[in-house]
Amino acid sequence: MMPTLFSSSTLRRVGLVAVAVVAVSRVPLFAHDMWMEPTTFSPDAGQIIGVRLRVGQDLLGDPLPRNSGLVNQFVVVDAEGRKPVIGRDGSDPAGFVRAAVPGVLVIGYHSNPSPVELAAEKFNQYLKEEGLDAIAAQRARRNETGASAHEIFSRCAKSLVLSGLPSDTQGDRRLGFTLELVAEKNPYALRAGQDLPVQLTYENRPLEGALVVAMNRQNPAEKLTARTGRDGRVKFRLRPGGMWLVKAVHMVPAPAGTKADWASYWASLTFETRAANASGN
Amino acid sequence: MHSPSTAACPRQWVRGAASLAVLMALLCGTAVRAHEIGTTRVSVLFQEGRTYDIEIVTDATSLAEKLEVSAGRSLPTDASAARLQSLLASADGTFRRRVKIAFDASEVRPAIAYSVVPPVDASSAAAATIRLTGEIPPGARRFSWSFAWTFASYAMTVRSAASENPATEWLEGGQTSAPFALTSPAPPVDRLTTARRYLALGFTHIVPKGLDHMLFVLGIYLLSGRARSVLWQVSAFTVAHSITLGLSMYGLVTVSPRIVEPLIALSIAYVAIENIFLSELKSWRVALVFAFGLLHGMGFAGALKELGLPRSEFVTALVTFNVGVEAGQLAVIGAAFMLVGWYCANRGWYRSRVVVPASMLIACTAVYWTIERLSF
Repeated sequence: MMPTLFSSSTLRRVGLVAVAVVAVSRVPLFAHDMWMEPTTFSPDAGQIIGVRLRVGQDLLGDPLPRNSGLVNQFVVVDAEGRKPVIGRDGSDPAGFVRAAVPGVLVIGYHSNPSPVELAAEKFNQYLKEEGLDAIAAQRARRNETGASAHEIFSRCAKSLVLSGLPSDTQGDRRLGFTLELVAEKNPYALRAGQDLPVQLTYENRPLEGALVVAMNRQNPAEKLTARTGRDGRVKFRLRPGGMWLVKAVHMVPAPAGTKADWASYWASLTFETRAANASGN
Repeated sequence: MHSPSTAACPRQWVRGAASLAVLMALLCGTAVRAHEIGTTRVSVLFQEGRTYDIEIVTDATSLAEKLEVSAGRSLPTDASAARLQSLLASADGTFRRRVKIAFDASEVRPAIAYSVVPPVDASSAAAATIRLTGEIPPGARRFSWSFAWTFASYAMTVRSAASENPATEWLEGGQTSAPFALTSPAPPVDRLTTARRYLALGFTHIVPKGLDHMLFVLGIYLLSGRARSVLWQVSAFTVAHSITLGLSMYGLVTVSPRIVEPLIALSIAYVAIENIFLSELKSWRVALVFAFGLLHGMGFAGALKELGLPRSEFVTALVTFNVGVEAGQLAVIGAAFMLVGWYCANRGWYRSRVVVPASMLIACTAVYWTIERLSF
């Protein structure tokens, strides 16, 4: 599916301000994005990269130091294989990886579930914002729209970093996260006019009908949105330059024994596009 | 609560607070562990029931970004500490809109000072320290707080100069704290009470809390069994740490703990390693111990700042804390003498079986600390 552009480039500044005010005014809301911002997306061979975790809204984020109680998986995959991302509890950056070999490094962070209780109004607003219409409909059918919700949420964040020159043969890899965004082309090797196909999987199967949003660090107001097709795929035509965050949220009834009503999974994928190898929108 | 002179080391606090927050969260069980804890930390101090002093330590860049974008400006591109500090100060009006200090139901308007220190290395971030100060309205009974410039969970610590145990509450960004009951204005703390309290704090900072300082003192003791050797070194160490403790507490000397703490560990390693090769006191050893004492004094100052000093009895607290530290050191030396010194310091095997192995153990520990304190 092709993306929808929320605002035109001529309204970029106005949109930026508007979304920022909305973002900041949403601070008390508990449904925030979580993404990774490496200290560099283009490390030299052998360079150590700090992996910063960020939580926030519209790419305005706060640092999240490493918390071993929350880490389920924190890994990096490169041509040499899969390795843990090391780091010290309480530190920001939360981890460090070394660009040992040229190519794309896929960094992944999967958190343990965290519980949260949201008042009905906040929960309903969050379902709307994240495109979780099926859950809203389910609550309505059960006459629960006016009820607060107990939720457990897990983070499934990935980041792609390129050491050396880009190549079509390299790219993203599946890490097996519960909810996972996988770039099906190397975003660092995108040429002018090419779309970036992204697949969303839930428990390793394509997820249909989920809202996927892409935003750029330089202008998070200008969001690209699309719903996944039956194959779990969306395509985005990305403006060149700067860091991109692609994100999606999926929610299911919480497993028995968790003392929660719902379990949500927050997938994110960050990478940079470069002015030389991608076309404008 | 930290005094203004400590503004040079918030980066360390951010890291320390985050580590502490994670540790506390782990200890407190799942209810807290589950939260995504950020690097923001808020400390509230009520001074003798008359004034409040609130300190926010947070990531400077992320705060500046939110303020700038909220004010309708573009994201800052120059992220130097000076630029960030200027941005924060110029966005004072915007900042105040999402910070609420209330006594009973009435909001108060604090004086706000912003400071930003640069990152200590390429991978770390600039840290902002924001101090909000003012007078507590007469007769106020309850205090409440909200800070909506963070998306992550943070800990708010509330204490008064007279109380031993601070109260800690975990808050989500934007969440209003539970009302904190204020005690009636405490009578001024008398000198004797202050002296006793800080004497005890100084002593316990060495025994049992200051294992690194204890090992340094043991290193001094182990050089030679002669009283003259111990006396000279302890005197040099005492004079030196008293100088830097005093200068640091008055804000005349400020060195980041990122520098001081590894150097303290290195000084312990040096003294212990030298014990293996040296068995007599040399004049340069005294000079070195003096230099190391200057470092340890800055470490003591960091601890004392964390404890806080009552304004009315600042000098008393400073002096008695130092005396307490001294008593702690003498206790270590006394214990070492009782354990091994009196019986075997004059034996032929004392060096080979006590001094050298003990010094090696101290050196290994100190080298490990040095590496650990330099890590990340």
